[in-house]
Amino acid sequence: MSIKSLSRKLLLVSNNIAILLVAIVVILVFYSQNPNFLHDDNIRNIMRSMAFVGILTIGMGMLLIGGEVDLSSGAVAGLSGVLVAMLINTGIPWGWAIVITIAFGASLGLISALLVNVLGFMHFIATLGLMSVYQGVILVITRNVFIPVPNEGFRLIGGTSFGNIVPLPFIIMLVLMIAYTLVLSNTGFGRSVYMCGGNRKSARLVGIKPKKISYFLYINNGALGALAGVIITSQMATASPVAGQTGSIDAITAAVLGGVAFKGGSGGMFGCFIGILLINSFSAGLTFVGFPQYWQIVARGSLLVLALCLDYVISGARSRALEHALRSHN
Amino acid sequence: MSKSFPGVKALDNVSFRADGGRVLALMGENGAGKSTLLKILAGDYFADEGEFLLNGILQNFTSPYSAIMAGISVVYQERQMIPALSVMENIFAGALPKNKLGLIDKPRLKKETMALINKFELSIDPSVPVGSLSVAHQQMVEIMKAYRRGSAVIAFDEPTASLAEEEITVLFKLIEALKKEGKIVIYVSHRMPEIFELSDDIVVLKDGALVTTFITSETTVDELITSMVGRDIGDTYENLSRNTEVGETLLEIKNLVTHDVHNIDFSLKRGEIIGFAGLIGAGRTELVRAIFGANEITSGEIIFEGQKIDFKSPFDAIKAGFALCPEDRKEEGLVLYRSITDNVSIPVLSKIRKALILDRKAEAKLASTAVEKYAVKTPGIDKLVVELSGGNQQKVILGRWTNELMNTKLLILDEPTKGIDVGAKAEIYQTICDFAKQGIGVIFISSELTEVIGVADRIYVMRNGRITGCVDRSDATEEGILSLAMADKDETGGDAQ
Repeated sequence: MSIKSLSRKLLLVSNNIAILLVAIVVILVFYSQNPNFLHDDNIRNIMRSMAFVGILTIGMGMLLIGGEVDLSSGAVAGLSGVLVAMLINTGIPWGWAIVITIAFGASLGLISALLVNVLGFMHFIATLGLMSVYQGVILVITRNVFIPVPNEGFRLIGGTSFGNIVPLPFIIMLVLMIAYTLVLSNTGFGRSVYMCGGNRKSARLVGIKPKKISYFLYINNGALGALAGVIITSQMATASPVAGQTGSIDAITAAVLGGVAFKGGSGGMFGCFIGILLINSFSAGLTFVGFPQYWQIVARGSLLVLALCLDYVISGARSRALEHALRSHN
Repeated sequence: MSKSFPGVKALDNVSFRADGGRVLALMGENGAGKSTLLKILAGDYFADEGEFLLNGILQNFTSPYSAIMAGISVVYQERQMIPALSVMENIFAGALPKNKLGLIDKPRLKKETMALINKFELSIDPSVPVGSLSVAHQQMVEIMKAYRRGSAVIAFDEPTASLAEEEITVLFKLIEALKKEGKIVIYVSHRMPEIFELSDDIVVLKDGALVTTFITSETTVDELITSMVGRDIGDTYENLSRNTEVGETLLEIKNLVTHDVHNIDFSLKRGEIIGFAGLIGAGRTELVRAIFGANEITSGEIIFEGQKIDFKSPFDAIKAGFALCPEDRKEEGLVLYRSITDNVSIPVLSKIRKALILDRKAEAKLASTAVEKYAVKTPGIDKLVVELSGGNQQKVILGRWTNELMNTKLLILDEPTKGIDVGAKAEIYQTICDFAKQGIGVIFISSELTEVIGVADRIYVMRNGRITGCVDRSDATEEGILSLAMADKDETGGDAQ
């Protein structure tokens, strides 16, 4: 096998290589600037921040693979973070408060599902509207003021770390990612999600019920959004009215960077993980080397555009390789 | 002219000439190179070798725009207009008349468009959006646009594929008018009667090479077909090994009405193949989709194995033993960017799992059995379906519906040989007969008359959403079926034959 055909093979198989390389380069660059970048404290901080976006990305990644999207999930997380704080502050045991909050998130997911499946609205537009509604509700309830949660038990969720390095929320995220990976690749349901995202019409004609799957994905996304909200409130011991503001965009970005096709039908949790790793280590790195805060926003945006360009080049090469495979076969 | 793609010679040293004031028909089976030739003409593709001369001047297109400027217009099947803009704006796109202020001169635009519309004796409102027009009228607008540009060559790619009979008559009148003006008309179509009605010259391509050129008035349909396929097609059907034992009634449709079809009655026995013939748009696809639970039913009864059924979705139909191979394989039959395995196993996922986990081994066995059974040409079952040829994609779909875990009792095939080469077609015909031998009832929709007559035991003919007749294979003739399919035209004094 020649190098050319080997590299073609590689292109066809690997979705995540480019982005993994970028992530490694980013980490090495910051490490070379300041070796403390890979110090325990900083690694813990990066993992802490990964959990919130990570859990959102699981729900969003599932939606995108199934050919759907929900822009409201960041706001659902924000609203849920506020709700769980208020419930605990009224004296409800924190365990029950979390259960109620997750059920609440799931019902918000159901609203998205209903708009898309019953009224037939375009998912992008419908959930954009919902995002705005939820963010408004957060401001109305909190009057844009932080809500402290003085509850030791609740704070343990976000505050516990294993070996003083790996935070509990990060473990929760990893366990969920592994579970969803198993669902996606080893169950009939997971397969149906891919088929729906790949071609909804075909999927329906082979006996899949795309609406049923769509309902599940939105409700699942709402519940995970609520869980992310619970976690960030617990991590800060405070509900922040701005916690979820960029959540949906970050989740979409991480998923797409990680090789989830924006039009559906392909991708997986491993790619999502790499996407989150890249975004969070980059942000953390910029803070770490003392990059001015406002410029960080510019840098983060530039990284996204750069990574997308790389993906564009690679997917172009991939489709050429595919075309080649197609022609040599016929 | 020659053009190669990696691994394929799409055009191999093809030479011919077209004269002004004449219609040249470009004919050949699918994959013969017609589309490639049109695309080179339109500046979409560049020829590897060869020359293209217009009025003796060597042309060298670098883009579709330069082809248009040189006077070439190609009217594709997919319309290339802006649906939200008006008819006149589309016709004059790129050359809108302006007034002194530099704004669009609407009155003049309208006047000039009306002049064009009157010239071609059409009735189109110049100020409505193109998107609101019928397919046929959109095509007329596109032709006027080509005319307005002063194109010397106007090429048509299967223009009648989605037109009704009356619309075709109007189109032909238009083409006649272009011919009278001395334009070169190049016409690609698979419909024999049209070719003989319209064209003056015929160029036949096969596998990228020029087979022969005819003067239309000096040739016959038989001679033309023989030159296109290069083999006698009659034998294919005579050599089929058919089912001789037809069982009891499997499916009965009583007075079925949907949005697209009206008062449909027919029945199908176990082991029987019934054909559905008709023109494109006759409602055959819509009928089988309704039976399959994919389209809504207004009224009427579907009786399957003696019981009245009411499917809410294709899921229910599949559970009952129905299977549908849709007309549009790529859009409705397959998930292209998934593997052969995924596409084969999808309806039986619930039968190949242990607890909740998919049994990968059983799944792989299912896929490899299908690949072996239908001799799908592929290096492996993990290959993406998009990488297979049309014939092999169709085989994957057949493999899906007939694997050992499926309990298919009724198989609906909607244009199963569309876009498939002649050799693979014969294989598919035999496969259909084999299904019948297993006691499966088969509904076989096809727009190729020879094929329906050759394969089906009985042929139902549809027109405008209604069944207009039923013929046994022994009594069936192409002419008879065609007249049932186009009866309206006969009544209005048209020339159906």
